[in-house]
Amino acid sequence: MNEAYIIGAGQSPFGSYPDETYLSLFETAFDSALESAPAAFSPDAIDEAYLGTLGVGGRQIGLSAPAVTEHVGLHGIPTTRVENACAASGFALRQAVTAVRSGMVDIALAGGYEVMTDTSSDHTRWWLGVSGETEWERMSGTTFAGVYAQMASAHIGAYDTTIEDLSRVAVKNHANGAKNPKAHLGFECTLEDAMNAPSVADPLNLYHCCPTTDGASAVLVASEDAARELGETSMRVAGAGASSGRVGLFQRETLTGIPASIRAGEAAYEEAGIGPEEIDLAEVHDCFAIAELLAYEDLGFCERGEAATLLREGVTDPDGDLPTNTSGGLKSKGHPIGATGTGQVVELFEQFHGTASVQIDDLQYALAHNVGGSGGGTTVHIFEREEVSA
Amino acid sequence: MRGIDAASVYVPRARLSTDEIVEAWGHSTAAGVETKAVPAADEDAITMAIAAGARLFEDCDVDRSALDRLAIASTTPPVAEGDFASRVVRALGLPRSVGQSVHTNHTAAAAEAIDAALHASGRVLVLATDCPRGDPAESDHPLGAGAAALLIDDDAVIAVRDGTWYADESPGIRFRTDDAIDSLGITTYERNAMSTALSQAVSALNKGDETIDAAAIHQPNGSLPYRLARSLPIDNAAVSAGLVADRIGDAGAATVPIGLLAALAAATDDAQTVAAFFGGGTAAAFACEVADAQRSIDVAGLSDLDTGVSISYTHYLRRRDHLKGREVGGGGANVSLPTWRESLDARYRLIAGKCPECGAVSFPPRGACQSCHARVEFESVPANRTGKIVALATIGQGGAPPEFARYQQRDGAYGAAIVELPAGDGSIRLPGQLTDADLEHASVGDRVTASIRRIYEQEGVPRYGVKFVPDGNGEEIA
Repeated sequence: MNEAYIIGAGQSPFGSYPDETYLSLFETAFDSALESAPAAFSPDAIDEAYLGTLGVGGRQIGLSAPAVTEHVGLHGIPTTRVENACAASGFALRQAVTAVRSGMVDIALAGGYEVMTDTSSDHTRWWLGVSGETEWERMSGTTFAGVYAQMASAHIGAYDTTIEDLSRVAVKNHANGAKNPKAHLGFECTLEDAMNAPSVADPLNLYHCCPTTDGASAVLVASEDAARELGETSMRVAGAGASSGRVGLFQRETLTGIPASIRAGEAAYEEAGIGPEEIDLAEVHDCFAIAELLAYEDLGFCERGEAATLLREGVTDPDGDLPTNTSGGLKSKGHPIGATGTGQVVELFEQFHGTASVQIDDLQYALAHNVGGSGGGTTVHIFEREEVSA
Repeated sequence: MRGIDAASVYVPRARLSTDEIVEAWGHSTAAGVETKAVPAADEDAITMAIAAGARLFEDCDVDRSALDRLAIASTTPPVAEGDFASRVVRALGLPRSVGQSVHTNHTAAAAEAIDAALHASGRVLVLATDCPRGDPAESDHPLGAGAAALLIDDDAVIAVRDGTWYADESPGIRFRTDDAIDSLGITTYERNAMSTALSQAVSALNKGDETIDAAAIHQPNGSLPYRLARSLPIDNAAVSAGLVADRIGDAGAATVPIGLLAALAAATDDAQTVAAFFGGGTAAAFACEVADAQRSIDVAGLSDLDTGVSISYTHYLRRRDHLKGREVGGGGANVSLPTWRESLDARYRLIAGKCPECGAVSFPPRGACQSCHARVEFESVPANRTGKIVALATIGQGGAPPEFARYQQRDGAYGAAIVELPAGDGSIRLPGQLTDADLEHASVGDRVTASIRRIYEQEGVPRYGVKFVPDGNGEEIA
């Protein structure tokens, strides 16, 4: 198997940009990725593209991915749109890595885009639940906030997890996001703010939920030969794990974890030949505060039921042993659905290159965890630092 | 002799005190009505009929597969034209070959249904169900809701003598050309017409001048039946025995049947009980007496008459759609009607699938086994209708998908739960809304029972399915 390396990664600012389009946002992300790549890199070298989007708003239901690559001048290259809800670009990255590792291509583009804030509130409400299980889950009156609130209720019922812990996730991630110039909600919040926000789907309040966001992200994946030729081998894809699960929460064996995340994590660790204790930094899918706590447990950062303790002890703070969501996470950085998975990789790329807004030193392994819906599909990618060969 | 062999009553949980109406309007037309029953925003004539029918099958041990006919009476079928009896047949799991008739158009519709049942052969289920609405300033004041189920059969516990009828054109008393009941309010004319018709029907029934011990008389409010009884050989104590409008209001075509069942449940073995209907210019009367003193009629659900929870008048107006919010656009989730219909056994009767390989139970019973993931032919097993909440979210304003936004406007925040129900040797989980719930007291671990309610409406077609009612909802009215 060929090795795959990340040789460039960039994103548009995440936020509310109603005057932008999915094409213009992706163009910004793509340019940013090119800028981060070695000077010798030419976009003409891109062989194939995999782009994730849910397509919120229904603005271009068919063929939006080729529209994007043509828009940025990647004329004629094969482009595939990947749709796995909020994990669309995590899976797009997986496709790009697979294409490179198989030897089919030398350079693949992975990315994603989403425009969410330019539609009416009614229209937005309709789209917010489309990746839940439709026939039963949605027909019980839930959108995603409701389903994650159900998971929170089950976790609070089963373990020593409190609503205050959910609020602590918001405080930590906002503290990080406040330093990230590309974050959507780049401000700090106090525990009091995060405890007293209006209810969205009890037990979740507004500060326990990520925003709806416009944005795009792009990641360049290269084969070992191509990466070495460009002299950019600092970020190797050490493990690529992914798994599917029942789309409806009610159909899964547990309500207090996401089985697809557990399996995706195990696969990634196995391929990387490491265990969770060797991870130095993680970007996890905190679409709702409870999701970050579930991720700690699903990815083996702690024992089942111990997530709140891990958080309270500061282990996942920037100065802790396992800084998590230094970008601000989905909560503060934002969650432009299709752009989120590769957006996480942008943060890790910057960390590997020492340019992150909340910089973590001495990185060896970093992990990105991207969940579709409430757990219908998860990708986990582990990246390893390799010294740049001169 | 043919008659009533088993019976049940269902009354919605919420009550509105007439005092609230007086406070709002300065007066009330609900004479003699202390409280009235208010259907939830997800209840209608179909769901109440199902609730009453389900009680009959579950609490009275009636075999639903042995029914020959279904006769439904209601002045408020949820759709002016469309599926009504067929929905009840599916939801109650009645034989698809069951004969059906729907009786509507006036408040004596249940007399037609009972008469049809008495003249038919075999076991007939009569369902009287109603939730009329009126002009909130006036005609709406006494209007309540409720449903009754009567199993009519040969050799019944309660013998019912053939109905006697009297018809004369007497328009303007109660009529409806749109959603709201109207009356011209020509008081003396109306009262005379009702008295004449009722006395003609009752006297035809009562040839031997037997004493009438209890009577459920047409009761558009709580005091008129006493007035109407003055021209009948029925004293006030007998009227009182069959009066329910004082507690549940005027439940349209269901009021007299519910009153009759309340009177029968309290009657002595040798009592003569009369049901006297009036509606649309027609009066009908039936005489009931205990045929078999060894067996007693145990009417399921009668405690609903004296329990419930009070709601405010503003909540009432929202609930009954008198205070209308904006329609929320954006469209509903696209579950096609054919797909919905395919799932009706699961939605109504909680039919799950047992895996022949590993024995685990999957819900809905489709696709690979949810436990061993084998592709199998599931063996159908009905899940228990009572189980517990294992996860719960409360969906507040703005958190509902557009197709539930109107429902939320009408009834406020709702609980969206995952419920675990025993099924086969295992259990199933399914998502379901809580209804008739005190959300501030609902939590993971609570016991809940399935109830068929209106789920949502798409493209003008209401869809029905299972929701869950937390146990302990039979509170006394404070």
